[in-house]
Amino acid sequence: MTLSLFDQFLSPALMGVPLAAAALALPWALFPRPTLRWVNNRLLTLQNWFFGQFAQQIFLPINIAGHKWAVLLTSLMLFLITLNTAGLLPYTFTPTTQLSMNMGFAVPLWLATVILGMRTQPTHSLGHLLPEGTPTLLIPVLIIIETISLFIRPLALGVRLTANLTAGHLLIQLVSTATSVLLMTMPVLAVLTATLLFLLTLLEVAVAMIQAYVFVLLLSLYLQENV
Amino acid sequence: MPHTGGPQDYRQTQTGQTAPHSLQCRPANWDKTHHLDREQCCVSTLSVILVALQKGTERPKQGARRTGSLKSSGPIGAGLVQASRSLQTSSQSLAPVPPLPEHGGKVRHGLIPEELFQLLYPKTGVTGPYMLGTGLLVYLLSKEIYILNHETIAAISIGSVIVYGVKNFGPSVAAFADKLNEDKVAKAQEVKDVAMSSLTQAIEDEKKEQWRAEGRAMLFDAKRNNVAMLLETNYRERLHMVTNEVKRRLDYQIALQHLNRRMQQEHMINWVEKNVISSITPQQEKESIAKCIADLKVLAKTTQAKAA
Repeated sequence: MTLSLFDQFLSPALMGVPLAAAALALPWALFPRPTLRWVNNRLLTLQNWFFGQFAQQIFLPINIAGHKWAVLLTSLMLFLITLNTAGLLPYTFTPTTQLSMNMGFAVPLWLATVILGMRTQPTHSLGHLLPEGTPTLLIPVLIIIETISLFIRPLALGVRLTANLTAGHLLIQLVSTATSVLLMTMPVLAVLTATLLFLLTLLEVAVAMIQAYVFVLLLSLYLQENV
Repeated sequence: MPHTGGPQDYRQTQTGQTAPHSLQCRPANWDKTHHLDREQCCVSTLSVILVALQKGTERPKQGARRTGSLKSSGPIGAGLVQASRSLQTSSQSLAPVPPLPEHGGKVRHGLIPEELFQLLYPKTGVTGPYMLGTGLLVYLLSKEIYILNHETIAAISIGSVIVYGVKNFGPSVAAFADKLNEDKVAKAQEVKDVAMSSLTQAIEDEKKEQWRAEGRAMLFDAKRNNVAMLLETNYRERLHMVTNEVKRRLDYQIALQHLNRRMQQEHMINWVEKNVISSITPQQEKESIAKCIADLKVLAKTTQAKAA
């Protein structure tokens, strides 16, 4: 079937049944549950090692009260990284290209950190609105600016993920379209674009993993401020 | 009357029929048909309820009590029992698990599992899977079931990245995972080895201590001898000292006696000499001097004669 450039971003539906649920449930099917064995197979060993490393890395600077978020953030990280990397395969739908879903992740989690901070230590949380060592005249302006930056955080989180992935996918589609068109007319140039595509694919793999990591890292930073 | 399930299945009436009845104590003609009075009815109903509750909450044994239990009664009986069983706490989860395979799954060309090739080998030989792949691809393309578009190029690109990754980093990642497991096992093994070596060391130390305990008797004998010798030496020293002291005192007495005697003698001699000297008259003195001179002359003459 002929594809336009928008088809990869449409929320898939088969005969009226939305398939986005299947796309979202894919990461759950890919990772095995920890077994009762002491020594596991390679996949489970690597998975456990990765979770341990990641959780240690993210939660080292956060105090003990924030460690309650460990399961949430680790599972979020795994979810995002799987969705992103699985979306690089052809003919797949990447849920994280949808702004609605990313905002659905970003806003509640960000709001949770803010509310947590405001409830448990309001003075400390409000103190973050004014960086240390500002000149006295700038204080009102700076508070307004910091408040704006606070409220822009969820928007930034969601849009960052969406934009990165959408842009990456779109670029891959465009360059591969160019390659397929040039293959008929100017094959040598097609080789060039194919090389570009290869490098772009490598970049996209990296970006997919990095963006997921950055999302969770920023959330952990917001948590660190507020807990 | 709908089949309500529950305790009625194993509740038999007095007449031996499993007639369905509600949990109400007294339908209209029950006394006549079942010959029970009120107390018996209530007790039997309560016992039925209690048994039903007990059966609902107990952990079902493996395959036992299939007949007449809550599990097999009614459309949701099994689900109720399974829902009340909490995860991983029954003895089923303590059963030994089957062992893991020695090696991980093999893939050919980075993506296709080796099992496909093994599956097709008896019938189609070595080139079977490749022919299958080529034929399938050609079929899909020619029938336009799969259309070549830009996604194909993207698929080739990402496919090559994946195959490259699997082929180049696959063995090292597998070795890393194996090393993680081996380290885990090695740590436990080390604990066991350390415990064993410390226990064998303790056994040897104990044996050495026992040997030492045997030698202790010799040590005590030597010490006893030592002490006895010291005592003896001390005793003899003191004896010696006593002897010396006694001798000294006796010597003193002897010296005193000697001194006394000598002084007496000297005194006597002096007195005698004094008396003698005082008794010598001058007459006698002259006679004696003259005699001495005459003797000397005679002597001189004889000496000269001898010399000549």
